[in-house]
Amino acid sequence: MKQTTVGVIGIGRIGRMHTENLVHAVPDAYVKAVVDLKQVDPAWADGLGIPVRTTDLDVVLKDPEIEAVVITAPSGRHVELIRRAAAAGKHIFCEKPVAFEPGLIEQAQAAVAAAGVKLQVGFNRRFDPGLLRMWLGVRAGEVGEIHQLRVTNRDPKAPPVDFVKRSGGLFFDFAIHDFDTMRFLSGSEIVELYALGAVLVDPEIGKAGDIDTAVITLRLANGALGVIDCSRQTNYGYDQRFEVFGSKGSIVVENTTPTTVVSSSKGGVVGDKPHETFVERYREAFIAEVAAFVASVREGLPVRVGAEDAVAAVKAAGAARTSHQEHRPVRLSEDMKATSGGQGQ
Amino acid sequence: MRVITAGILGAGRIGKIHANNLMAMAGVRLKAIADPYADFKEWPGAAIATSKNPEDVLKDPEIEAVLVCSPTPSHADFTDAAARAGKHVFCEKPIAVDSERVRATLETVKRSGVKLQEGFNRRFDPTFARVRRAVADGEVGDVQLVRITARDPAAPPIEYVKSSGGMFADMTIHDFDMVRFLSGSEVEEVHAYGAVLVDPAIGLAGDIDTAVISMRLSNGALAVIENSRQAVFGYDQRIEVFGSKGGIEAFNETPARTVLRSGAGVRHENPLYFFLERYQRSFVIELEAFFASIRGDREPPAGGNDGLMALLVVLAARQSLIENRPVRVEKLASPGHKKG
Repeated sequence: MKQTTVGVIGIGRIGRMHTENLVHAVPDAYVKAVVDLKQVDPAWADGLGIPVRTTDLDVVLKDPEIEAVVITAPSGRHVELIRRAAAAGKHIFCEKPVAFEPGLIEQAQAAVAAAGVKLQVGFNRRFDPGLLRMWLGVRAGEVGEIHQLRVTNRDPKAPPVDFVKRSGGLFFDFAIHDFDTMRFLSGSEIVELYALGAVLVDPEIGKAGDIDTAVITLRLANGALGVIDCSRQTNYGYDQRFEVFGSKGSIVVENTTPTTVVSSSKGGVVGDKPHETFVERYREAFIAEVAAFVASVREGLPVRVGAEDAVAAVKAAGAARTSHQEHRPVRLSEDMKATSGGQGQ
Repeated sequence: MRVITAGILGAGRIGKIHANNLMAMAGVRLKAIADPYADFKEWPGAAIATSKNPEDVLKDPEIEAVLVCSPTPSHADFTDAAARAGKHVFCEKPIAVDSERVRATLETVKRSGVKLQEGFNRRFDPTFARVRRAVADGEVGDVQLVRITARDPAAPPIEYVKSSGGMFADMTIHDFDMVRFLSGSEVEEVHAYGAVLVDPAIGLAGDIDTAVISMRLSNGALAVIENSRQAVFGYDQRIEVFGSKGGIEAFNETPARTVLRSGAGVRHENPLYFFLERYQRSFVIELEAFFASIRGDREPPAGGNDGLMALLVVLAARQSLIENRPVRVEKLASPGHKKG
């Protein structure tokens, strides 16, 4: 089998993870090059057998052997990198968020279409075995017509305030996955939402203009109602639970744990906390999403998460921000004038 | 323990439950039950006086406490009459669906110097009471989020829907009370999305059968309720309180708590079918608490004010649904404001 040759752009935490997954878990991918503004650790690249490490993006873009790139640079550079990679004829996997403005994502989408390359967006949850099983169950009619959907999304520990400041805010950085999950599971579009936000975890997050706790209720085009609850800090691990309820029943995805051990004693019956971070919780999903991307490139198949999904999720995030700021329900069809950047909840 | 003589107005479903529980309860003597529509042939037996006339209970000087279990529209009048007759009152929720009417009754109760407890039975459910204790003891830290899932197993008959006062007044009122009870805080503002997804006839009757309701509480926490009139797998009653130290969750209860593993899968039992099964114990415990507060001359644990506050949230949620905007609960508290 011919391997698909890949370059990874941006070797931060996520870039390293995707690179390692491609090398270790995706046999039909070959990572030839890694690019970062800073020098990439040679020992790490040696260990993975990656011959090209460079600070010059053109080394990757001009390499005719490289068919596809994985963009894991800081969010602010995503659109520019997509345009350059598309112009160079490379297929693209880009981490979320592609951009905080729907218009910018649409520009990237146009560049990709003009170049005839693929663009997959990093909504990893769509590849989680639990959520996939749920999706299949919904499609197979296990719950009948969907009446309600619920996403519980809570981080283990509040991020540093420096991260919060450049993250785009909770709706764009964090709840964006939840908006996508609502669309993915329901197969329908968010029509309207109402967002309640609060600063309950860390006052510094509030001073930075963001929130750390939110409840978002929403109405979908198919008539179903949805609830998203978010927190930046649980103290008990990464809390990821999902429920779809309908005319014939419901499907629930519970938290996964490092082990299934239960220890019972006079003090109580104690099991593992949920996984501590998204890297562990969605390990299989992160592998499956890059494997699916590589397969799409190799087989010439459509990607399973495209730019239109990124646009829809960002529009929902923008509507949530407007709802929170203006203290009212917001229809997604409203003209989103307040989309000049993700900052400032 | 001092024995208290009690009477019951209304021998429908809930009246019978309370009567049967009182007959088995130490320290209480159920003397009489009145209901203009009941025939009392099979039940409750010769030991209990029965009558078609509520006055027979209300005017009996021996009866110290009255349980109002009649249809909702008569709750306020019977509560007033019992209070004026100097009897302590246990009234099923809601006292009325008009907040001014509730206020008038609370005033009557206060002037009469009797005790009033309202039938918010879920507060007395051992599972939910344990959740409340965990919150009160600080096990989850500062409350940040209260989440309630409450789904009935089957949609009620349309005739019931028409006289129910609407889903919020009939069903969600329990959840609003649980939000207040679990958080120890008041609902400041509410926003409700509603839909008719279960039965179009419910929509034609002017009501909804599905809702998601979000709230901001006075302590800063957020809350969310999911309601449906029909969960085909059984009575779906789950709550979660999440806070600065962690969260506590109560799951559905099942008849025998078994798990059957076979080639077909791992099969758990369906939840207990409906409120009679799920909240059986709470109906006993709430009455024990009512009679204990009479004996000890203490304020009942779910008083008239709790009923009024829950009703004010219901009215705000109803207004939010109609106008599709967040509604502050206090606004409805101002005298003279009547919004349906």
